[in-house]
Amino acid sequence: MYSLAKLPRGQSALKTALRRSVSSKASSAGGVSVIGFENKGPAATSSLTVAIKAGSRFESTPGVAHVLKNFAFKATANGSSLKTARETELYGGVLSSALSREHIFLTAEFLRGDEEHFLSVLTSVLSSSHFYGHELKELVLPVVQSEAIAAQSSPTTLALDAAHKLAFRKGLGNSLYASPHYPVTIDDVKSYAQGAFSKSNVAVIGSGISTESLSQVVSSAFGSGSSQPGSSGLNTSKTSYYGGEARIPLDIHAPPTALPTLVIAYGTTSPATPELKVLKQLLGGESSLKWTPGTSPLAQAADKVPGGSAKAFLLPYSDAALFGVVISAPTSPQLAGLAKEVAQIIKSAGSAAKDEEIKRAVAKATFADATASETLEGLIANVGPALFAGGEVKSESFSGVSASSVSKAASELLKAKPTVVAVGNVNVLPYA
Amino acid sequence: MPSLTKMIFGNGPLGPSLAPWIRQRPGLQKYWARWSNFYKNAAGYRQKGYLYDDLIVEETPQVQKALQRLSPQQRYDRVFRMRRGIQQSMGHKKLPKEQWTTPEQDVRYLTPLIEQVVAEEAERAEWDYMTVEKIQQKRAEKRNIFSKREGTH
Repeated sequence: MYSLAKLPRGQSALKTALRRSVSSKASSAGGVSVIGFENKGPAATSSLTVAIKAGSRFESTPGVAHVLKNFAFKATANGSSLKTARETELYGGVLSSALSREHIFLTAEFLRGDEEHFLSVLTSVLSSSHFYGHELKELVLPVVQSEAIAAQSSPTTLALDAAHKLAFRKGLGNSLYASPHYPVTIDDVKSYAQGAFSKSNVAVIGSGISTESLSQVVSSAFGSGSSQPGSSGLNTSKTSYYGGEARIPLDIHAPPTALPTLVIAYGTTSPATPELKVLKQLLGGESSLKWTPGTSPLAQAADKVPGGSAKAFLLPYSDAALFGVVISAPTSPQLAGLAKEVAQIIKSAGSAAKDEEIKRAVAKATFADATASETLEGLIANVGPALFAGGEVKSESFSGVSASSVSKAASELLKAKPTVVAVGNVNVLPYA
Repeated sequence: MPSLTKMIFGNGPLGPSLAPWIRQRPGLQKYWARWSNFYKNAAGYRQKGYLYDDLIVEETPQVQKALQRLSPQQRYDRVFRMRRGIQQSMGHKKLPKEQWTTPEQDVRYLTPLIEQVVAEEAERAEWDYMTVEKIQQKRAEKRNIFSKREGTH
């Protein structure tokens, strides 16, 4: 039997562990914030990530952030895209780029000892990318197209994208993926890159590299870089939450893995609080043990529909958050029934929670927060936004969370207009 | 400047040309330009409205790839010139003198793109057939700002 009394001790041990691994933060190496985690990660490899505050939120034309993310590691002054790729293979490294709604992440993972080469690759992408027109057509657009098609074919991705569009409209509501209805030209990409690659928009995260030498090299590399010192050059708008409803039919030719999906979401225009994280774990939907559905109310509801699932999600951004449930079931009538049940659960969320359930949710939320930084992806997703906010990376403290604060947060959240996206047989699926 | 081999035997779909060697010697170029201009006017393509690069044999993969890299306006103009020239050839006619290509219009728009494509293919072949020697040893010898010096912690 696990004892709840063990919880506080676990939390303090967690805090010391995190403090040990974050080595130092060199605040501005030539105007670029740098953070290094010296003891993190495997012993033989290191990684470097450049986070650029140029996600889909800031894009000037639809889809240009997606194209710019795929334009990473193409022709630069250092050499052609072939040269970069073959050299990386010979060095035994991995280059990748990722796009989130607020950031573009360029990552290089490599063996220890190759830091210089890969830092020069990353800085050359930022400072001297050529953006050839023929590269856009031959190399980048096919990848963009395939990613967009893959996103369209997954109802969950489609529904979440539509939910953001309804909830936030502009800014955070911009789609993550380029659309064939709005072609992106090379001039769009060039002007977006010029605004995005300025020094104030860029942060460097190193793992397994000594921070002093990293900040030294970064300041020398970026000192000669872009010429815009202070301005970001990208439009940043205040986020407001609208809410709304959308019904998208699921194509009859869709693959059988595409289940009808319904997303019910609520947004806030303030960053995610610990209460919201606890609320997400309270509603739950995922099980910690195999072969059992779990004890959370969403999981219990989903268990009644074979093959159905209802999972709570919380998507935090720098000045807003989207909280909701993704529900899916094998057929649309089943989804309709499940969705009505889930709507009831959400309406009573937080208000009827017992103390033990809150404690369980707090434990789960603490664990989720702690393990989020263990993989490289999770680390970058946590550290990147924190660096731009100027704050230290610290673990979320759930000590102030209680049943009353959670129910207060839930009731405030539910006051707003809900965002409901239904993907499937729209004749059968329910309205908001 | 391309290598002597390329100048004598040709650079892929582009034929042999000593032009880069001549262009480096201005006195020689001024003398030679008279003969090359005479040739271009006498060759007959200008009288049918073509540009020099319209005559490059396009049935090679490199030229096809280079043609994909033309801008839409360039592509349209090229097709127009082809149709007009074919029409003249069918009637064994030349265009009226006002419509002949002038030397200012006769820009080599396609040759740089072909050279780019050929260079990319050559780079790929170089990377495919290179041999890797002694990377480990070089790594051990190399000392950069990130590597620890012996003796200090």
